Amino acid sequence: MKRIAARVLPHIILCAFSLLILMPLLWILRVSFTDRLTAYKIPPEIGTVGLMNYVEIFARYPFTGWFLNSLIIALGATAIALPLATALAYAFARFNTGGTFLRLGVLASQMLPPIILVLPLFGMFLFAGLMQSHVGLIIAHLTISLPFLSWMLVSFFEGDVARLEEAARVDGATRWQAFRYIAVPVAAPGILAAGLLGFILSWNEFLFALVLSGPSSQTLPVGLAALETHAGVEIAPLAAATVVSLVPVFALLPFLRKHLIKGLSLGALK
Amino acid sequence: MLKKWLLAAALATGLSGPAFAETVNILMEGVPDTEYVKTLLPEFTKETGIEVNLEVVNYAEMHTKLVPQLVAPKGSYSAIVVDFYWVGEFTKAGWLQPLDERIKADNFDTSVYVPKLMDLVGRVDGTTYMLPFYNYAMGLLYRKDLLADEKNKTDFKAKYGFDLDVPKTWDEYLKQVEFFTKDGINGVVNQGLRPDPIAMEWSNYLFANGGEYHDANWKATLNTEAGVKAVEQYATNVNKYGPIGSASFSFDEAFNVMAQGKAYSYITYNFFRAGIDDASKSAVVGKVEIMPVPGTEAGKGGSLNGAWGWAIPKSSPNADAAWKFLKWVESPAIAKKRALQGGSPTRTDVFDDAEVNAKYPYAKALKEMLLTSHNFPVFTYTPQLVEVLGRELSLAVAGEKKPAEALAAIETEMTELAKKDGKLK
Amino acid sequence: MTLAADDRRLNDLPRAEQTAVERRDRMFGWLIASPSLGLLFLVILFPVFWALYTSVHDYTLIAPNFDTFNGIDNYTKALGDPEFRHTLWLTAFFVAAVVLLEFALGFLVALMLNSVERFKAIYYAILLCPLLMNPVIVGLIWRMFLHPSLGIVNYLLSLVGIDPVNWLGSTKVALWTIVMVDIWHQVSFMIVLLLAGLSALPREPYEAARVDGASALRSFWHITVPLMLPVIAVTLLIRLIFAVKTYDLVYIMTRGGPGVATDLVSYFIYRTAFVGLNIGEASAMSAILLAVIMGLTVWLHRYMRSLT
Repeated sequence: MKRIAARVLPHIILCAFSLLILMPLLWILRVSFTDRLTAYKIPPEIGTVGLMNYVEIFARYPFTGWFLNSLIIALGATAIALPLATALAYAFARFNTGGTFLRLGVLASQMLPPIILVLPLFGMFLFAGLMQSHVGLIIAHLTISLPFLSWMLVSFFEGDVARLEEAARVDGATRWQAFRYIAVPVAAPGILAAGLLGFILSWNEFLFALVLSGPSSQTLPVGLAALETHAGVEIAPLAAATVVSLVPVFALLPFLRKHLIKGLSLGALK
Repeated sequence: MLKKWLLAAALATGLSGPAFAETVNILMEGVPDTEYVKTLLPEFTKETGIEVNLEVVNYAEMHTKLVPQLVAPKGSYSAIVVDFYWVGEFTKAGWLQPLDERIKADNFDTSVYVPKLMDLVGRVDGTTYMLPFYNYAMGLLYRKDLLADEKNKTDFKAKYGFDLDVPKTWDEYLKQVEFFTKDGINGVVNQGLRPDPIAMEWSNYLFANGGEYHDANWKATLNTEAGVKAVEQYATNVNKYGPIGSASFSFDEAFNVMAQGKAYSYITYNFFRAGIDDASKSAVVGKVEIMPVPGTEAGKGGSLNGAWGWAIPKSSPNADAAWKFLKWVESPAIAKKRALQGGSPTRTDVFDDAEVNAKYPYAKALKEMLLTSHNFPVFTYTPQLVEVLGRELSLAVAGEKKPAEALAAIETEMTELAKKDGKLK
Repeated sequence: MTLAADDRRLNDLPRAEQTAVERRDRMFGWLIASPSLGLLFLVILFPVFWALYTSVHDYTLIAPNFDTFNGIDNYTKALGDPEFRHTLWLTAFFVAAVVLLEFALGFLVALMLNSVERFKAIYYAILLCPLLMNPVIVGLIWRMFLHPSLGIVNYLLSLVGIDPVNWLGSTKVALWTIVMVDIWHQVSFMIVLLLAGLSALPREPYEAARVDGASALRSFWHITVPLMLPVIAVTLLIRLIFAVKTYDLVYIMTRGGPGVATDLVSYFIYRTAFVGLNIGEASAMSAILLAVIMGLTVWLHRYMRSLT
């Protein structure tokens, strides 16, 4: 009896939590199929139903462009940030490179409100000819994700991994091999999570994307924010755009299924 | 790594450098008037061979995006649109090019613009920096079907002793607000969000009571009988006659209340008049009309003026092409075409145009509104004044400050700002 | 732990070789750190320096130059401004509320997720959704949900007999509303990181505990919590830094109102810089903020070290 309860309880809690997260999303889904008049009808009515908002975001707004720009920039920034941050975190954890001072220094820039950094950054990018380009935005986002990702990853290299590496070193592995073939696989859950969060940081970043982008590099957050117009919020197309931008998460399901299972931990390595 | 950097640099210059065909880049806000301009752009390209690239961003973010561009010696935008909020700041900082020589050389007629709009988003201290693009003066949206209802007419007459009709004065209107707060409907819906929604809306209350922000010497005149009355009436409307939560409504929430038929009246930007007849947003199509905010007596208006202007920044990479575009977009023919699509005109000849009046019968009311409207103080620190107004009025509505206290605080800060700007000696 | 392992290895070697190994370790550290450090150095050092330099000058956007050095004037002016101090306190309260509540909820969900196999990927995908929405969109959508008379939330409450709640228009409720929306939006951030920490934990201590017959609660307190401390510390710290920078949500939902009930410091600094055009003072405020967060970070860093 007790064992069944122990098995069911987590699912009850997880279902309740998922429902809390899901309910607003389901209401967004509903609004995406209707117009503003129906969206604000209380008590709710079925009202107008159709795909017009989905048509509108592609026909009237450059949704595809926004989406692709965001995807290119977020993927680019994450692909560069993740290996760099992993190496930096490993150096911090294993060799205490630069000491506490450097560790804090790396994060210091992120403790300033970005609004203060955006003017000088704009000046630098103008000087370097990086304005309005995708590359420029990738670099700008790297300055945000690198410090955070390296801080996240440090703790994944601390602990028992060091002993495993030492054993490997005694067996003749080089420092690089110990890092690449022992430490990185052991820290894989952390690296995966950090990659995900790094992607999200860049995907949602607003201020740098606003100031440094041009018509051809406008990202999804900047584009969608323009649906709040002087003539009111285009709430129904906004809901449709939100739905479309969330669908790819569910394409990740097989990947998540494969990598979320236990077995990436230390135990598996031995 | 080096290769990557070189590639990056090459890519970047390729994207931001001048293209072969001349292109005019303009940063704009996503409003109906922008859409109307967009539909007409092919005509301009056909006439001149110049491509036009409109970059649309959210209003709130526009200033943040513009400022670095304007500070730079050479930015990305050929022309920009300027909200009246920013006029003082942009001209004081020297970010805009004077247009007088171009206007003279091309004999462009600026006398057709509504004079109040030229004062607001055209001329600053005798120099023309902008051409008025569209106006967003505020008017009173009201339910004409409720006014025409026979039972309402008799009940109102019995209660107040005069006829229920389109309000001729501000006091008449306030009585109607009280009267119509019944049967699940509110007499008024307000936009009490700080800073600009509340500051802009309250300005109408101030003007309607016969008040002004300052006298001819920029001495603040807010903590007066008219000012205190305006704050009291505003707080009463929000807390007593308005729907719950209107102290935090932006114009979007407030408009939706009006559009769902849950309020008798709403003081707002005139371009919402077109929105209220859009069946995808509104349940009261054909039941709402707009008029100038009434004043202390018939014929005196209490409306707040507002507008955007076209300008060419100092940092413009191709000012000549930008001027060609400005000249074209503000020409009588194009201005009329924009108005026919539903745009808010700034030129008197467009307001008086027969076709425009035939299509939009309320054009006459809009012109009347502009002619009797009042301008908000335009100086370097307009946005900061709006900020202060928003904070203090919001505190007064929340009951955390008395009207006179809030007004005194606004006066103090306004005086400081006006002194800093050299307006007040 | 790291140091202990290094020491043991080093102790087996002769003295001269020890220093040689140490030196090569150090070099390897700098070598693999250098790409990141180089990039950060190139891109972010100038803006940070620029911000600190501006903070001691009379630098406004109307007259953007460094002509007038004014020492600590900007700092004393900022600290003397009751509005700034109010926003600091409010932010401290807000940050404490969201970080602690999100941690409590997030840790619970992460533990549960770590203990299941079925549907795990589906739960995970669902909780990722809010994270992929921009704060601006989250704010706009929730403003629709929370509309006092036309919103779905108050309608649902009315079905169970609860009077309409003035979510964003009441000075007493508004900050909690922002906290609630922030939790919905950001709690998954904690879950993702904590779950990664949990799944990287070694298995043997648990097996040993099971052999000893320890209860689940006991092994949670004596194994999970101590081993998770470094990940917990970093999770709290990073979430804290983001929470201090919250401004979009407030900007979209309340603009700091009603009154000054939700005026968070980042939004205040944003206004000082781009509405008030006073970059010098805004930089000084940012530097004060930097000092406060840095102090907290150092303290947290030390405290967690003392625990492990």
